[in-house]
Amino acid sequence: MLAIITTNLLRRPARTIFTASGIAVGVATIVALLSFTQGLKNTAAGFVHLGGSDLGVFQAGVADPTASILPAALVGQLAARSEVSRTTPLLLIVEGVKSDPAAIVFGADPNGFFADSLVMLAGRRALTGAQTVLAGDRLGAQLHLHPGGLLTLKGRSYRVAGIYHSGVLFEDSGAVLSLAAAQRLTGRAGEETSVAIELAPGIRTSSAAKSIESAFPGTQVIAEPQQALRAGANGTLISKAILVIVVIALIVGATSVANTMAMAITERQRELGLLSTVGWAPGRVACLIFGEGVALSVLGAAAGLLFGVIGAGLLVKALGVSTYVSPSVTAWGLGRGLLVGVAIGVLGGIYPAWRVTRMSPLKALSGT
Amino acid sequence: MSAPAGAEVIVENVRKGFGRVSALREVSLHVDPGEVVAITGRSGSGKSTLLALIGGLAQPDAGEILIDGQALWRQPRPARARREVVGFVFQTHLLLESLSARANVEVPLIGGGARRSARRARALSLLEEVGLADRADHLPSELSGGERQRVAVARALVNEPRLLLADEPTGALDSTTSERVLDLLFRLRDHLGMTLLIVSYDRSVGARADRTVTLIDGEIRSAEPALYQS
Repeated sequence: MLAIITTNLLRRPARTIFTASGIAVGVATIVALLSFTQGLKNTAAGFVHLGGSDLGVFQAGVADPTASILPAALVGQLAARSEVSRTTPLLLIVEGVKSDPAAIVFGADPNGFFADSLVMLAGRRALTGAQTVLAGDRLGAQLHLHPGGLLTLKGRSYRVAGIYHSGVLFEDSGAVLSLAAAQRLTGRAGEETSVAIELAPGIRTSSAAKSIESAFPGTQVIAEPQQALRAGANGTLISKAILVIVVIALIVGATSVANTMAMAITERQRELGLLSTVGWAPGRVACLIFGEGVALSVLGAAAGLLFGVIGAGLLVKALGVSTYVSPSVTAWGLGRGLLVGVAIGVLGGIYPAWRVTRMSPLKALSGT
Repeated sequence: MSAPAGAEVIVENVRKGFGRVSALREVSLHVDPGEVVAITGRSGSGKSTLLALIGGLAQPDAGEILIDGQALWRQPRPARARREVVGFVFQTHLLLESLSARANVEVPLIGGGARRSARRARALSLLEEVGLADRADHLPSELSGGERQRVAVARALVNEPRLLLADEPTGALDSTTSERVLDLLFRLRDHLGMTLLIVSYDRSVGARADRTVTLIDGEIRSAEPALYQS
C-alpha cells in the first residue's frame, strides 16, 4: 500500500510539489510565528527581571509595557511597603539610538540596584553627568563605541563613560542614562516607565503582586514572562494571529488537498474501479486515497518546518528587531506545525476517500 | 499450484437497464462447473454488462445470478466474495502504469491482506506460468501489448478463481498475439479447471469453447448463429 501511495505521488510530481508547497507555506508561517512568540516570551522574561529584580510594576491597560507611564512618587510608596526590600525607577526609551533603532535606552537611578548590577568592562560607572552615557557591550561592538567616544540619542550627543555587561540580551544591546537625563531627553519629567522591585526575604512573588496591585489601582505587576506577553498588545496580537493563520492554513490546505485528491480520483477512475474489481474493499481503496492525502500533507509539513525555522531568523534580521525578538524554535512549536500539517491531510482526505467508497466498480471501469 | 474447481453459474431472468436503455432483458443462462462458454453479439448487445453482473460488479434490476449458489452482490462483503471467486481479464489490460509487472500481479493479494513474501512468491510463480518471469520488474510501458495482457491474465488468476471472466481479452491485440493469449487462457483453464466465460468476436474462441451463446439486443438467442468477425 505504501509503495502504491509513493508511486502515485511521484506520478504527478508537479502537482505533488505545488500542493505540498501550499501546505508548506501555511506550516512555515505557523512555525515562524510560534518561534516569534517563544522569542517574545524570552524577551519578556528579561523585562520582568530588569537589573535582577523579582518583579516589575507597570501602568495597567497599556498596549505594550514599554509604553507604561508611572508617577515618580510611586517609587517611595512602594519602597515603604513591608514586602519590598528595594525599588528602583526605570524609564525606557524605545528607538532612541538612530543608528540602531532596535536598541533600548534605559533611564536609571545612578544609585539604584539596576545601575549597580551592571558589570563595567571598560571606563567607569559615571551616570551622574547630564551628558554621559553607559553603553552595553553588544551595542558598543556594533557601533564601535569606546569610553570617551560619542553616542547620539534622539539627536543629542552623549559622551560614553563606560562599557558594561549585564547578561540580559537587550540590556547589553542598549545603553543607560541617568533617570534625570532620560526624563529631560524625552520631556517626561517626574515620570517613569516601571519600578523594578526586589522583594524582602521569604515573600512570595504572587502574594506580593496581588497586594501591590490592590494597594495601587491602575498598576499591574508583572512577575512572569507570560504576564508580560499578555499585558503587551503585541504578544496578544501574535497569539491571535497564530490562531487565525492556523484556521486559514487548515481551510486553504485542506481544500487544496481535497481538490488535488478529487482530481486524482477523476483521472484514476478506471484504476480505482480495477482495484475494486479485483477485490479491494471500498474501505481499503478509500484508505489508499486518504493515505495519499496525508502523505502529501506530511511532505508539505516537513518542508514547512524547515522553511519556518529558516524564515523566522531571516525575517527578524530583515525587520531589524533582533534586539526585541530572537526566534526560539521549540520541539512543541515544531510539533504543533506538524500537527497542523497532518490535520490538513486528514481533513482534505476525508471527502475524496468518502467519494471513492460510493463509486460503482462497473461505472468506474467504464470511465463514466 | 493447486487446481481450483470450476464454479457453477446460474443466471435467471436477469434484467438490467441504464437510464432508459435496457441492456439485458430476461436473460437466463446456466454454465456448468469447468465449462468454457463463448459469448458473442454485436456491440451494445449487453455482453459486457452480463459479464459484469455475473462478476458481481453491479446488481441486476431483476432476476438472480448465483455463483455456486450465492449471489455475489448480495454478500455482506461483495469485494471479498469477488476476490475469492472471480478473476477478470479486460480488453485493455488495465495495469497500474506506475507498478512493475510483479507488483501488478500482487495487487489483488494486497486487497486480501496477504503477507508481502507470500504475495511476491505467488506473483512470480504466476508470471512464470504466463512466460514472463524475466519481465517481472518491468513497468507496463516497457512491455508489449501481448505481454501486458499476459500480466493481466496472471493478475486475474492470482487468487485462484473458480470463475474467470474475460471481456474481449484479445480485442486490442493483433492476430498473432491474440492467438498466443488465447492459447495461454485455454491452457491455464485446462490446467486449473476453472469455469471460463469469454466475450469475443474471435471465431477461434467459439471453436475452442464448449459452447457459444449469442446476445442480441439484451436477449440470448440460442437459435441465432454466432456473430464473429470474418
